[in-house]
Amino acid sequence: MAKKTPKLASAKEAGVHAVDFVDERTSISGTLRWVMFRPIPKGTNWFYTLGTATMVAFINQVITGIVLGMYYEPSTTRAYESMKYINNEVFLGEFVHGMHRWGSSVMVILIFLHMARTFFFGAYKYPRELNWVIGVALLVLTLLMSVTGYLLPFDQRAYWASVVAMNIAGNAPLIGPFTPDIALGGPDVTTLTLSRFYIIHMMLIPGAIIALIGAHLYLVVKLGTTAPPWVRADKVSADLKEHEG
Amino acid sequence: MNQREKEEYLREYAVLKSAGKPFFPYIIVKDGVMMIVVIGVIMLMSIMLGGELTAKADATTTTYAPRPEWYYFWAFELLRVIKPPYLVSLATVGIPTIAILLLILLPFYDRNPERHPLRRPVATTAGIFIMGAMFFLSYLGAEAGAPSQVEIGPPPAIAEAGGATMLKWDAGRKLVAQSSCGGCHKIGENGNDGPGPPLTEIGDRLKEGAIRETLINPTRPMPSFAQLGADNIDKMAFFLASLKSGGEGKGTTGGGAEGTGEESEGGSTPGQSPGG
Amino acid sequence: MSDRRPEQSKYTLDRGIPGAFEGETITRRRLMVFAANATAGVAIGGVVLAATGFAAGQPFVEVDTGWHDVGPLDEIPDDTYLPRVITLDPRTGQVGKSTIYVRRRNEAVDTEKPDKWNQIIAISSRCMHMGCPARYVQAAKNFVCPCHGGVYDFRGEVAAGPPVRPLDRFYTRVVDGRVQVGKRFSVNSQIERFSPRPPGQPLDGIGQYLYPSRPTQRKIPGT
Repeated sequence: MAKKTPKLASAKEAGVHAVDFVDERTSISGTLRWVMFRPIPKGTNWFYTLGTATMVAFINQVITGIVLGMYYEPSTTRAYESMKYINNEVFLGEFVHGMHRWGSSVMVILIFLHMARTFFFGAYKYPRELNWVIGVALLVLTLLMSVTGYLLPFDQRAYWASVVAMNIAGNAPLIGPFTPDIALGGPDVTTLTLSRFYIIHMMLIPGAIIALIGAHLYLVVKLGTTAPPWVRADKVSADLKEHEG
Repeated sequence: MNQREKEEYLREYAVLKSAGKPFFPYIIVKDGVMMIVVIGVIMLMSIMLGGELTAKADATTTTYAPRPEWYYFWAFELLRVIKPPYLVSLATVGIPTIAILLLILLPFYDRNPERHPLRRPVATTAGIFIMGAMFFLSYLGAEAGAPSQVEIGPPPAIAEAGGATMLKWDAGRKLVAQSSCGGCHKIGENGNDGPGPPLTEIGDRLKEGAIRETLINPTRPMPSFAQLGADNIDKMAFFLASLKSGGEGKGTTGGGAEGTGEESEGGSTPGQSPGG
Repeated sequence: MSDRRPEQSKYTLDRGIPGAFEGETITRRRLMVFAANATAGVAIGGVVLAATGFAAGQPFVEVDTGWHDVGPLDEIPDDTYLPRVITLDPRTGQVGKSTIYVRRRNEAVDTEKPDKWNQIIAISSRCMHMGCPARYVQAAKNFVCPCHGGVYDFRGEVAAGPPVRPLDRFYTRVVDGRVQVGKRFSVNSQIERFSPRPPGQPLDGIGQYLYPSRPTQRKIPGT
């Protein structure tokens, strides 16, 4: 033990130096302290982990989505075959495909639960109105993700669900007839549609989602996590006094 | 919320916060446990349910019954129950747009400073009502069977008789399914509710002979099925007359799904017109 | 509040504008603000416009689906439909095809004016509610959609359920005793021809103005 100490100490010193180097140039330690050691009100319970849970489901979608993209081919003649290949040939193929497919369901459920918690606890009220609006935008983007992602396996279910979804989108008066054309890249579901949905599903919406999650989290940290509505300050401070006394 | 209420809340929140514990590591542990639960559930679902694929996309099919992902079943059911054509755009873009706008603007029209769900009876009731309505619509949407199939099990008497009786009953069931009775009549969980009356318990109201007569000489707008031949009409009437309240084995849909299975699978052979 | 500056001074410093410095006038500040916005706007706008045109322009180039042979004329009955598959886009496999139902014009049921495009009636299998695959059932002489309860009669007119207009049709012609199927067109409840619309868009009353046609798909002029 005693012999190792100098080595360990020097390694530790090097680590501290590296951290100091970064911190001197970024002042990140203050931000980290602000984020990590912010006080959370008394009484928060398991309902308050639903936001993290949603984010974890999203991270799962990102990671599995990236690796699925390594084998997937967005072409009408090849997409289905590449999905078959993923399912049947690739090591852990169906497992990762299943994680992405069911991860989306889990994410939607968690978003709804998270929103229900925010609604029933009145957590969308002052000063957190903007965060609620960002949250609804995230819900809409997630549903768009599910619409664009649903077509990608290009099986019967995918194809017909997309046909119906696009016709639903085309039902708005005046702009209606043009929306399917722009979304599908023409009057019908073709190769153009698949590559469009692929890039929207892989880059456009995920980019927006990541940016909005950033804003969502910034506001959560800045405004603080709410306490459950039944936890009252007069009670808590009375407890405090008792504790101090 | 006016200025006084805002300040009151901020004061109250500051007290609560000052009594709290730091996020790291006291609160984050809970989040960590939740992360494991979420990833565990996703992995478990993947192992149990897999990433199954249906047949390759085929625009020429006339037998495939499209269904949306489960969390859109409420919207699917909305499209089914809103029948008048001039209200279709209400179901497709109207209601979803209004719903999203109501969601986005929620903090701006709900100015009640109260946060406890029990002290906000209107908001809480509205929230529970909307969630209940979505669950109910989703349930109906999930239950809705294709009109080109009849998924009803045989009544106990016929199942016991077996043999020729059972074969005749099953042939009648398939004929009813293939003759698009479900287009206008509800039969169990299949078919459309209207314009024709539901046939789920038609045996209570009409005798077999009367059903046969109706199939041959119906009142408009129902078409005549006389061209199917007397033998086929007999089978259909026999099957329909067996549909009585309480008598049918609703739970045993296995036979039903299997019976018309070949119909929905044969996606690439367009438009066999059965019985024609 | 106590040291009130003159409101109408031409120097930004006097008006307390953020970032003011000695000698900066209001006009100079305005010019620079405009220039900063304009330069960035022109640069980014150029890229965005080009990209948007690239992404959204192609869908508005007219598609020519051509004429497709669906067999000899004497094979086609007038009291039932034959299903036929036509290939609209040979490069996209099974999704570039479409199932249509064809029959001969039958004076007993068809009331629309006869012309050279409707001696053969070709009806699309896409439900005009939301585009699900409808299927013709000869036993009941109707088209049934499996999705939301749409039913069409023998002529493809709405018999029940939520569809907003009759089933779309195709132009047909007879060349050397063989039937050819051409462009798709939509019809209103009087079976008048309209440029094709996506499903769900009514054509009766003000429907045709609420849901305008697109440059991608046009009916044959004057029909």
